[in-house]
Amino acid sequence: MPEALLVLDQVVKRFGEHTAVAGVDLQFHRGEFLAIMGPSGCGKTTTLRMIAGLEQPSEGEIRLNGERINELKPWQRDTPLVWQNLALFPHLNVVKNIEFGLKMRNIRARERRERSMNWLERMGLADYAGRNIAQLSGGERQRVAIARALVTEPEILLLDEPLSALDAHLRVRMQSEISQLQKQLGITFAYVTHNQSEAFAMASRVAIMDKGLIQQIGNPREVYRAPANHFVAEFVGSNNIITGTVSALADGWVTVETERGKFKAPAPEPAPAKGDTLELVVSADLVAISDHAGAHENVLSGELISEEFVGSIITLYIDIGDGVVFRVQKQQHELEALDFTSGRKLYASWRPEHTYVLPPA
Amino acid sequence: MSADRFIAYGLRGWFLVALIFIYVPIVINFIYSFSPGRFPTLPLGGFSTGWYELILSEAPVPRAFANSLKAGVIVALISTFIGFAAAYTDYRYRFLGKNIYLALALLPPTIPVLILGLVMLMFLSRVSLVGELYSVVLAHVVYCIPFAMALIRLRLAQIDPDLESAAWNLGANSWRAMREVIVPFTLPAIFAALALTMAVSFDEYLIAFFVGGLTETLPVRVLALLQGQVNPRINAIGSFVFAISMSLVILAQILLLTRRSGNRGIAAGGA
Amino acid sequence: MAHNALTHPAARKVDGYALFWGLPLVLWQVMFFVAPLVFLVVMTFWTVKNFRLAPDFDTVNWVNMFSKSYVIDTYFRTLGYGALGAVVCSVLAFPASYALAFKASPIVQRIGLFVIITPFFTSYLVRIYSWQAVISDSGLLNGLFGLVGLGPFDMLSTLFGTMIGYLTLTMPLVILLQFFSLTGVDRNLIEAAHNLGCGRLRTVFLVIVPSAKTGIILACTFAFILCFGDLVSPASLGGSKPPTLSILIVDTVKQGNNWPRAAVVALMMVLTLIVVAFTAIFFAYRVKKEKT
Repeated sequence: MPEALLVLDQVVKRFGEHTAVAGVDLQFHRGEFLAIMGPSGCGKTTTLRMIAGLEQPSEGEIRLNGERINELKPWQRDTPLVWQNLALFPHLNVVKNIEFGLKMRNIRARERRERSMNWLERMGLADYAGRNIAQLSGGERQRVAIARALVTEPEILLLDEPLSALDAHLRVRMQSEISQLQKQLGITFAYVTHNQSEAFAMASRVAIMDKGLIQQIGNPREVYRAPANHFVAEFVGSNNIITGTVSALADGWVTVETERGKFKAPAPEPAPAKGDTLELVVSADLVAISDHAGAHENVLSGELISEEFVGSIITLYIDIGDGVVFRVQKQQHELEALDFTSGRKLYASWRPEHTYVLPPA
Repeated sequence: MSADRFIAYGLRGWFLVALIFIYVPIVINFIYSFSPGRFPTLPLGGFSTGWYELILSEAPVPRAFANSLKAGVIVALISTFIGFAAAYTDYRYRFLGKNIYLALALLPPTIPVLILGLVMLMFLSRVSLVGELYSVVLAHVVYCIPFAMALIRLRLAQIDPDLESAAWNLGANSWRAMREVIVPFTLPAIFAALALTMAVSFDEYLIAFFVGGLTETLPVRVLALLQGQVNPRINAIGSFVFAISMSLVILAQILLLTRRSGNRGIAAGGA
Repeated sequence: MAHNALTHPAARKVDGYALFWGLPLVLWQVMFFVAPLVFLVVMTFWTVKNFRLAPDFDTVNWVNMFSKSYVIDTYFRTLGYGALGAVVCSVLAFPASYALAFKASPIVQRIGLFVIITPFFTSYLVRIYSWQAVISDSGLLNGLFGLVGLGPFDMLSTLFGTMIGYLTLTMPLVILLQFFSLTGVDRNLIEAAHNLGCGRLRTVFLVIVPSAKTGIILACTFAFILCFGDLVSPASLGGSKPPTLSILIVDTVKQGNNWPRAAVVALMMVLTLIVVAFTAIFFAYRVKKEKT
C-alpha cells in the first residue's frame, strides 16, 4: 500500500535545552482533514512549521509523497500555510496578495490574474480585487488568506489556528466554510488549533498533542468517548475523572472503591487485579442529576456550587467533598423541572456502562 | 486664573522660549546674510544680495559646495546600504556575538567628533588615504551608519514578523522575499535614511576638516572663514547650508510620518 | 506540482545570503572605525623625532602629558564644563519637555517634535557664528540691553558664552530624549498619585521623574559626551582660554604636528567617556532596592 501523502517519522525538535517536539509519528492521508489539537506549548505549531520548512527537525524524517523533504527550504516545498494573523502583504492589494504564490512560480501575468480572480469569485470577493487589505473585515481577510494559499493548487494545506482571532459567531461561520471547501477540493488539510469544538466540528481525524508527543489520534468520536490516557480525558470534552482501587471483579464488571463511594464499570481487557489503581472517566453529559437518590447505579452526592450557561447547555459544578468538583452537563430543558439553589444537596448518577476505564499509564 | 492653568501656560511658554533659543541663530543668520555692509547690525539698514553673489563667484565656495554635494550623495548611498544590511541582520538573525555586532554599528556617536576626526586623520594618512574627497566619504560613512541603521531598524520592528516567512512559504526564496516584501515595507525608512545621512554628512565639519586636508567641503570652508573676522560670507553660506539641511531633514520626517500602512495589527478581527 | 528544479542542500546558519547582509558592517567598521581606534592607542607610544613621526614604544608621551599641570587642569576643567553643560541643559530642557509631553495635544506634539528635530542636523558651526554676533560686546543682546539702560555685559569669550554654545548643541537632543521617556510614564501612576493626595509638584519629583529616570539620565549623558568633546563652543564663544581638552588637541596638532601627544589626550578623553557611559547606564537601569 502506498505511503500516506505526508509522513512525520519520529520527528524531534529541540530548541537548546527545551524539547518542543519529542518524537512524533504522524501520517496525513490524501483528502483527509486532520486536526492537531493541544494546549499552548504542546508543540503543535512547531510541528506544523517543520512541515512547512520554517524549522528543521533535530531528528527524524518528514516525507512528502515518499520523498524526504527535511533539507528542502520553505520555498522549495509546496506546503502553503494559512497563518494565525494571516500575514497578508500590506503593500499589495487583494488580488496581488492572492497572485503571490503564482508570481513566485513565474506564471505569466494573465494566467495569474485569471486564476486569482476565479478564486476571488469562489470566495465571494470578486468586487474586492483592487482593494487594500486594510479595508477588509476580519472574515474577508480570512478568505483572502485561504485563497492565497490555495491558488497554487497544492496537495496539502496547512492552517495554524486561523480562526483564533475571530469573534465567536464569525468563527462558527468560517468553520463550516472551511469544512465545505475541504470537501469540495478533496485535498489534505492539516489544521492546528487549541479549540476543541473547532477541531471536532471540522476534522475527520483528530490528533491530541501534549508535551511534544501525540497522546491520541483517531476520529473525533473515538477520542471523545475513549480517551487513551489521563491527559486526553481531561483535555477533551467535559469529563470527570475518579481514581480508586479495584475491590471486586465479576461477570465482566469491575467495582472500584473510592473515598466517595463504590462505582461499577465495564471490566477492561486485560482484566485488572484486585487492589490495582484504576481511573474512571465519566462524561459530564452522561450523568443524571436529581435532588433525590439516583436513577442509576453509580451515585455521587454533593452540594451545588455554581452553574454555567453556554447556549442551551448548562454545566453544573458540584462539590462532592474536600473541594473536589464534579461536573454535570445537561440541556436547559432537562433541568427546568428541578430546583437548583446554591448549596442544595444533589445526587449525580450514571450507568455503569457509561463509565470508561482509562488504560493504565 | 487657577494655579493649574497658570502652570500649564507657564510650561508651554517655557517650551516656546526654548524653541526661540534654538531658532534665533538660524533666523539671525538669515537676516544678516542680506546685510548691505560688512558688519551686520539690527536693524539691517538696507537689503543686499551682494554676499550671495560674492560667495558664488569666489572659486572656493562653489567648489566646496560641489564637494559637499558629491560626498553627501555617496555617503548617503553607502551608509544607507550598510545601515540597511546591519538593521536587517539584526532583525533576522540570532548569533553569537550579536552584541558586539550592534556595538560596532552604534558606538560611533558616543565618540566626540573631534576625536573621530583626529583618529581618522592619523589612520588614513598612515595608509595614504587622506586628503581627498574619498577620505571624507570613508570617515563620514562610519559616522552616518548609526543613523541609517536606527531608522531602518525601527521600521523593521513594525513589520509583522510572519510576513517574510509567508513569502518563503509561498515560494519566494530569501532574495525574492527581500525584494518583494522587506524592501517595499522599509522603503520610507530607506529614503528617510538617505535624506538624513546626506544632511548629516553635508553638515559635518570637523571630521571633514581633519581628513579632507586641502579638499574642502562647505562646512570646512566656513570653518576656515570662521578663523578670521566677522564675515557675512559666512551668513550667506550658512543660509544655503541651512536651507539644504533643513529640507533634507524635513523630507526625512515626512517620509517617516506618512505611510502608516503595513503595521502590525492588520490581522483578522471582528466582522 | 511545482518544486524548484534545483534542490539546495540543507543550508547551515551561515549562507551566502546571510553573509551578504551581515558582512558589510563588519568589514567597513573594522577597517575604518576599529582599526583607527586601535591605531590611536598605538600612536600614543610613538615619538616625534626631528619633526617626523617615528614608530616606537615609548611611554614618554604619557609621562609628559600627565606631568604637565596644565594638562591635568585642562582635563578637570573640561570635565567640569561638560558636567555643567549637561546639567544646565537637562534642567533647562525639562520644563519644555514636560510641557510637550503632558500639556500638548497629540497634534501639537507632532508639530513640536517636527520643529525641534528639523534644525537638529543643521550647521552647528554657523549657528555658533550667529551667536557670536548676538552676544558680542556690540552685538544684538547688548544693543537690546542698552535700549533699557543696562549693560553692556561681557558675554562673549566667557564661560557664559561657552554655555550658550553648549546649550545650542545639546538642547534639541535633550528635549527629545526627555520627551520620549516622559511620554513613556504610565499615566495610571500619575493619576494614582493625585488620587492619594500627592500635589502636582510633589508628583513630578516623586513619581514622574523616577519613572522617566532612564531616559533623563541617558539624555544627560549624551549631553555630557557632546559638551565634553566639543571644540567650537569653547573656541568661538568661550574665547578658547582657558582651554578645554578639545582645544588642546587642536593646538597640539597645529603646532608641530605632535600626533602622539594629541593621541594621548584623545585616548584620555575616550577612556573617560567610556567610564562615564558605563556609570550612567548602570544608574539609568538600576532598580532601586526596596526600603522598608
